[in-house]
Amino acid sequence: MRRRSFLVVLLGLAFGARADPLLDPITKGAPVRQGRVKLDMPLLADNGNSVSMSVSVESPMTEADHVRAIHLISERNPEARMASFHLGPRAGAAEITSRVRLAGSQRVVALAEMSDGSFWMGSANVVVTLSACVDELGS
Amino acid sequence: MTTRREFLKVSAAGGLVFGFHLPAANAQNVAPEINAWVVVRPDDTVIIRYARSEMGQGSMTSAAQLVAEELDCDWSKVRVEYADTNAHVRRKRVWGDMAAVGSRTIRQSQDYLRKAGAGAREMLLIAAAQGWNAPVAECTASDGVITHGPSGRKTSFGKVAGEAAKLAPPKEVTLKDPKDWKIAGKPIKRVDIPDIVAGRIRYGIDAQLPGMVYAAIAQCPVFGGRLKSVDAAKIEGRRGVIKVLPMEDYVAVVADNWWRAKEALKELPIEWSFGAGESASSESILQFLRSGLDDASNVVVARRNGELEQGLAGAAKVLEAEYFTPYLAHATLEPMGCTAVVKDGRVDVWTSTQNAEASHATAAATAGVPLENVYVHRVQLGGGFGRRGGSQDFVRQGVQIAKAMGSTPVKLLWTREEDTQHDFYRPLSVVRIKAGLDASGNPVAWYSRVSAPSIISTLLKLPLKEGVDPQAVASFADQPYAIPNVLIEYAQRNPHVPVGFWRTVGHSQNPFMRESFVDELAKAAGKDPYEYRRGLLPAATKEHGVLEATAKAARWAEPLPAGVHRGIAVTEAYGSYVAAVAELAVSDKNVVDIKRLVLGIDSGHVVNPDNVVAQMQGSAVFMLSAMFWGEITIKDGRVEQSNFHDYRMMRLREMPKVEVVLAPSGGFWGGIGEPGQAAIAPAICNALFAATGKRVRSLPLKNHGFEIA
Amino acid sequence: MAARIQLPGRARRGEVIRVGILIQHPMETGYRLEVDGRKVPKNVIRSFACRYNGVEVFRAEMSPGIAANPFLQFHTVALDSGELEFSWVDDAGQPGSAREAIEVI
Repeated sequence: MRRRSFLVVLLGLAFGARADPLLDPITKGAPVRQGRVKLDMPLLADNGNSVSMSVSVESPMTEADHVRAIHLISERNPEARMASFHLGPRAGAAEITSRVRLAGSQRVVALAEMSDGSFWMGSANVVVTLSACVDELGS
Repeated sequence: MTTRREFLKVSAAGGLVFGFHLPAANAQNVAPEINAWVVVRPDDTVIIRYARSEMGQGSMTSAAQLVAEELDCDWSKVRVEYADTNAHVRRKRVWGDMAAVGSRTIRQSQDYLRKAGAGAREMLLIAAAQGWNAPVAECTASDGVITHGPSGRKTSFGKVAGEAAKLAPPKEVTLKDPKDWKIAGKPIKRVDIPDIVAGRIRYGIDAQLPGMVYAAIAQCPVFGGRLKSVDAAKIEGRRGVIKVLPMEDYVAVVADNWWRAKEALKELPIEWSFGAGESASSESILQFLRSGLDDASNVVVARRNGELEQGLAGAAKVLEAEYFTPYLAHATLEPMGCTAVVKDGRVDVWTSTQNAEASHATAAATAGVPLENVYVHRVQLGGGFGRRGGSQDFVRQGVQIAKAMGSTPVKLLWTREEDTQHDFYRPLSVVRIKAGLDASGNPVAWYSRVSAPSIISTLLKLPLKEGVDPQAVASFADQPYAIPNVLIEYAQRNPHVPVGFWRTVGHSQNPFMRESFVDELAKAAGKDPYEYRRGLLPAATKEHGVLEATAKAARWAEPLPAGVHRGIAVTEAYGSYVAAVAELAVSDKNVVDIKRLVLGIDSGHVVNPDNVVAQMQGSAVFMLSAMFWGEITIKDGRVEQSNFHDYRMMRLREMPKVEVVLAPSGGFWGGIGEPGQAAIAPAICNALFAATGKRVRSLPLKNHGFEIA
Repeated sequence: MAARIQLPGRARRGEVIRVGILIQHPMETGYRLEVDGRKVPKNVIRSFACRYNGVEVFRAEMSPGIAANPFLQFHTVALDSGELEFSWVDDAGQPGSAREAIEVI
């Protein structure tokens, strides 16, 4: 089953109870919930070389309750794990901005790992318009 | 019969002027939108939206036929309107892909277009039924009229559109069986014909705005070079010159008319830093590519079946050949250009583009404004052929120049020379083919190594799966013949010359090589080229079917008049299956008189047969021009050709008779825009061999002394 | 490796401040080819860390999925005056660092 279809299956479930080779290395099979994570990426990017990305996670960022890490996962890049950002209560806010490379139009997932061990996710769909020439039929 | 929602105003001087797009006055808001694709006016006019680009390939009409078919409207009341890119962005890409590339418009969108038509029809039926307090199952729609069966009551789409627009779209719709089609599948006249004939069509180059100024540009003659300096003072005093804009990789001269801008640019002293590319020549490039044929490293496997070496070792006869195809230019009749204005954080663009969404994204990125602030005004293209899809360089330039000119609208237009010399060329390719035949003459082993640039890698900068560029090895990696031992290799070698998607891409060159070599095998086996292929293609394959249909239409089995010879070829391309038979005579002066070209295509379905025939005939013009004269040569890192005197196109009187065989076998959707070209070159070259005994292994034909009659 | 830092020179104690850094680095994906067909080797900045007065407050593991000339913007709580030190290393083993002072009032 292709990577993309795994994500589609996953995103259809509020509590992911299925094996997902993409997220499992991080979650170790723990359930992933939708919400709290906002991934901001442009709807269209002319090319995939430098696409702006902003991720923010709702969290008080206290010692007792904070975001431990935010992972960016691509469903289409040669390396699925684009980046992992490690935070903690010293961060004050779980908000990160960067620029990413996208190997074509795809969905990007932001997976937040909380201090209580729970996982939350958000995602964004980016269409890389110049790679329309070779995008697979129907995708 | 067609109007388009561009605001055309006739100025006092009699010319046609584009108005600015004003979302508030947008026709998309004044009549009820049943769904994003279908608007029905109270007077029963049906507006069908078209998302992709129209560049003469006719998809604007075919796409509308698919919607109208399921909608059951009156075709005579249909108007086709471009989907607006700004609304597209605000409505989260409601119209999906806008790219007219890869012969995909119909095959990629047919499902959702038909569903949109069917869904809109359902909503209109429900609205009518509700108005009558009758069960919707008792209501039917036909030609824009809704009838309640039992009572005979009638109403029209226009009368219930307002109510229908308020309804939720149905969750499921049933699509018609193509055998019941009344609008789709018919040779309906293209919706833009009246405008074309009356000269009303607006191309990107026609944009006119009040207060507009004009820009001509010069890019570095050697690819990859950088601008060092310009001496603007030398031309600043010239009449009409407004500004000289040195940019990183080009210089623009802005003037009050384009002639003055272009002439001033010719006089402008420009210093370039040419870079490493300056030493390149056609000879050095060919040498570089040929080295790829022998390199042991930096080569990847595209396909492997069986054991090639064993197959060759056990063969009764081994044949080997090297084939070559050159760089080709797109040479669209309308050169590259872009009209843009950047004002108060808003960007308006008029440009001939194969992907309005890509132009939109490029304009936003270049101007540094949010996507919601960009308006790409839709126009028809004066030819695309792949030049205006995957590269939006002209939009980037147009918006950069407009930004530098404050809020003054600027029309950027390239000269023909600039267009010819700064293209993204069809890649050149060198291929070594080797095959082993058994005692009966059947191939038991086939080897091809392609040494060629990668468009996907260099233009799109995308990673290649296992290093293979599917375009570069097209028709080799997926060759259909029943051969047990196959090895296809790819050596990616990128000279400094930029490459891009030229109509039919890898299938514009590899079938020439493959099918010519199959002919060489048939000759070595002493077999008829048609029967040879027929024997090697599994009977159930589409290639087999279209080959037979085309050979039959060409009456292959019948003798030809003295001096007339035939050639045949078959291949898949873009989801369709094509075959070609060429009949020609060659004089002792090597003048080639093509008597007839028979082109067959199995595209699964046919939405507009007349349009498919036109596309196949147009493919013949394009490919014959390319194969007889087309080549882009390099000297001192620069392109030598510049205009149509040294990049020749076919003349009207040279056009041969082209017969088209439509053989849709159903069950799939294949492309139309590009497949038509794929089998032509090998069919002609195979016929040339039959006529002269000369095997052509490189193009263009002029280099072998052939001329067209 | 050159880097440009965005940091408020002065902040109030307890304020959540935004920290930005732009590092000059090609972030080679390993998919580009030299003119002769050889692959330009993959070389990206993999690990990046920010220490505030010696204490790690932010860490990133990156991949070729981060664009060339990596730009990172994150947040930290202004606690004491002192120094923010940024350090990173790429696949070729080349290290880089930058530092900037901060005054907390």
